Amino acid sequence: MKTYIAQRLGIAILTLFGMSVVIFVLLRLAPGDIVDVLFSAAGYVNPSEKQAILKELGMDKPYWRQYVEWITQIFHGDLGKSYRYDLPAWQIIRPLIPVTVELAILSTIVAVLLGVPTGIVSAVRQDSTLDYAMRVFSLAGLSMPSFWLGMVIILTLVSWLGWIPPLTYVRPTENFWLHSVQFLLPALAVGYRSSALIMRITRSAMLEVLREDYIRTAWAKGQNERAVVWRHALKNAILPVVTVIGIEFAFLIGGLVVTETVFNLPGVARFLVEAILWRDYPIVQNLVMFIAIVVILSNLAVDLLYGVLDPRVRYAG
Amino acid sequence: MRPRTMVFLLAGVGLAGVLLLNGAPAIGQAPAKAPKSGGVLTLAQREETPQGFAIHETSTVSTTWPAMPCFSNLVIFDPLKQQEATDTVIGELAEKWSWQDNYRNLVFFLRKGVKWHDGQPFTSKDVKFTFDMLREAPDAPAKLRINPRKDWYANVQNVEAPDPHTVIFHLKRPQPSLLLMLASGYTPVYAAHVPPAQYRTACVGTGPYKLKEWRKGEFIEYVKNPDYFVKGRPYLDGIKYVIIKERGTRVAALQAGQVDAAFPGDTSKTTAEQLKKAVPQMVITRAAENVNENVIMNTKKPPFDNVKARLAVAHAIDRRALNQAVHQGGAAIGVSMPSKPWGVWGILDKDLAALPGYGKPADEKAAGKKLMAELGFSPDKPAKVEIVTRAIAVYVDMASFIINELKQIGIEATLKQIETAQWHAMATRGEYQIGANLTGIGIDDPDANYYENFACNSPRNYTFYCNEQVTAMLDTQSGEIDPKKRLALVVDIQKKLEMDAARPTLTWRVDNFAQWPHVKNLVPHNNFYNYGRLQEVWVDK
Repeated sequence: MKTYIAQRLGIAILTLFGMSVVIFVLLRLAPGDIVDVLFSAAGYVNPSEKQAILKELGMDKPYWRQYVEWITQIFHGDLGKSYRYDLPAWQIIRPLIPVTVELAILSTIVAVLLGVPTGIVSAVRQDSTLDYAMRVFSLAGLSMPSFWLGMVIILTLVSWLGWIPPLTYVRPTENFWLHSVQFLLPALAVGYRSSALIMRITRSAMLEVLREDYIRTAWAKGQNERAVVWRHALKNAILPVVTVIGIEFAFLIGGLVVTETVFNLPGVARFLVEAILWRDYPIVQNLVMFIAIVVILSNLAVDLLYGVLDPRVRYAG
Repeated sequence: MRPRTMVFLLAGVGLAGVLLLNGAPAIGQAPAKAPKSGGVLTLAQREETPQGFAIHETSTVSTTWPAMPCFSNLVIFDPLKQQEATDTVIGELAEKWSWQDNYRNLVFFLRKGVKWHDGQPFTSKDVKFTFDMLREAPDAPAKLRINPRKDWYANVQNVEAPDPHTVIFHLKRPQPSLLLMLASGYTPVYAAHVPPAQYRTACVGTGPYKLKEWRKGEFIEYVKNPDYFVKGRPYLDGIKYVIIKERGTRVAALQAGQVDAAFPGDTSKTTAEQLKKAVPQMVITRAAENVNENVIMNTKKPPFDNVKARLAVAHAIDRRALNQAVHQGGAAIGVSMPSKPWGVWGILDKDLAALPGYGKPADEKAAGKKLMAELGFSPDKPAKVEIVTRAIAVYVDMASFIINELKQIGIEATLKQIETAQWHAMATRGEYQIGANLTGIGIDDPDANYYENFACNSPRNYTFYCNEQVTAMLDTQSGEIDPKKRLALVVDIQKKLEMDAARPTLTWRVDNFAQWPHVKNLVPHNNFYNYGRLQEVWVDK
């Protein structure tokens, strides 16, 4: 197991290195830079002033040198300085992370709580009215973009109740109730979409397992439905579901752009898009690296969870 | 009559006179309430302020709106009057001012005892520092990283500070407009002891509110400045600007009462109608933004290097139909200066009809087609051009409408959307043929508009239109001190620019500023860059 983890971490470092090169190059390939955006906010462009600002920001240096400086800074625990805010990048990024991580975790919990039970029931009651109803429910979730659902939630609340959740971030220590309300609605909007996917995977995996011989044997031995479904079927069907949950969670870290925008939550994804539009390279580069790290870690966690959930899965060493 | 009765009678007559002079409430109108102190005003902010509080380094209402409460100008437009003009300019850091030497010297007498938010005293040195920096004087002690309004001060020869409470602007020639430029929200006085770069992250001003916190991407919060130089102001304990990027959420926030007033320029006619239906007590005020939609045509590139092609475009676009299609009739029609009631310089409606594009639509299309035919093009054999615009809905809607209009006179335009990061660089370099553009002007004044957008070599003259005759006309009107004579000159310039199709104006945007009725004294101006100080605003809750 230790060797396996060490191997995975080695690959992770290589992946992160590759990611750093890709994001660095892609950003420079995109037309325009922070100075163009600054001039855009001023409504004109002056080439000599532009050159001076490029020099001030260190953007006049060759690309390879800018890359080396960035990587060296990371190794020294320094993420550089935001071009836009003229503040250390970490100071900007740090408050965003808990918001997005919390929303992603809550959305995943909603998705699992909705998706797994409905998937199981749908499989166990295959082709029943309940199954059809749940399939329609999940298809609707897949078809509705979460940002649209979010906007519908907001507009419904404001039309019916004349109320919407707070639009400035309320810390749990400030007011736990308001904080919960603030996160619950976007978590529902996002979690519903993810739950639809999880439901369908759970359903198909369960259907496959429920046709296995050992399930028939369990029924033949007179075991009750709860034991057959939960102990024998679900345990064997859960691996693909866990994989999807892991992928969904990782996706949510960087994919909550519109939900964060609609609910006005100051998270990573919304800020990342803003930083891309501003060509704020230090912020974009470091946020993308953060998302990459989360994706790698969640994949690793899923792989390790396989071993826990299914003793047949063994990692060499 | 007893003396005591006489005193009461005289007092009664005097009181009635005072009420009449000060505008007593009309019959049936509720008497104005006395302002209350206290409360926090929450306002919507459409995006993060682009450069913090560095108003001098940007040209957007996204900066002036949330940064103005921190600062003071020498003079400012009366916050309680919607239409800005020379006679609505009131003193701010300047207690009084005087034009001298036939409008060649503008002397300001500054308030005494004013303090910066960090406790330092405000003096004439701060004023000299600010304006030497803005006009990039050779001996200026500081330089701005970006200086978009340098041209406003091209006529200032030097700024003199003879004593701590007097400042003299010496001008090269008379220029009455300078006073209005100094009254704009774009013209705060910076502190000489604070590096200009610091305003990008923090704010040290002399304004009615002190910065409490700027949580990036979330909100900007101010508290009342207890040392504000106007006694009894501001009324509010604080202001909070909540950054809400999504427009639908901003409207919902206003409707739900989470914000007390909309972001300037944010409320279209349709949105205002929806808001009013949902919240009947919502107060909607129509006010011009001083932003116009226009067509930029590169006068250095064919076919628009030929005035006939430019005129054909000017004829082809039906402004009223555009107003209906894109703004549901909510915008205003006018040429390069906004007309009454949205501005003071624009030409009269009766004169508009004689200008290209303002006659009967069928006649105008025919005129456009004829001009294109003279250049060898027709709807069957069209001139093929690329129309550029910013990849933002309001721009794309306008460009799409223009494309359809041009098709009818023999111009086949394909749309190219440009990202904001590229737009001004592209326009300044002239890497386009024709474009759909929006232009905001800091004040309703010919100097601010024309020198910026139509003068030869101005960095914002994206069309490269350069006409010596027009330049001479601009200088003449700029130096004219008789307002009536100046207006006549400005009308001539407007007509000339339209006949040259220098940068045809399509519409002037009109905001439907929305606020809850408990917000008092927040009067939107016909220029959304200039009413953000909020020292007179109070809440009646």
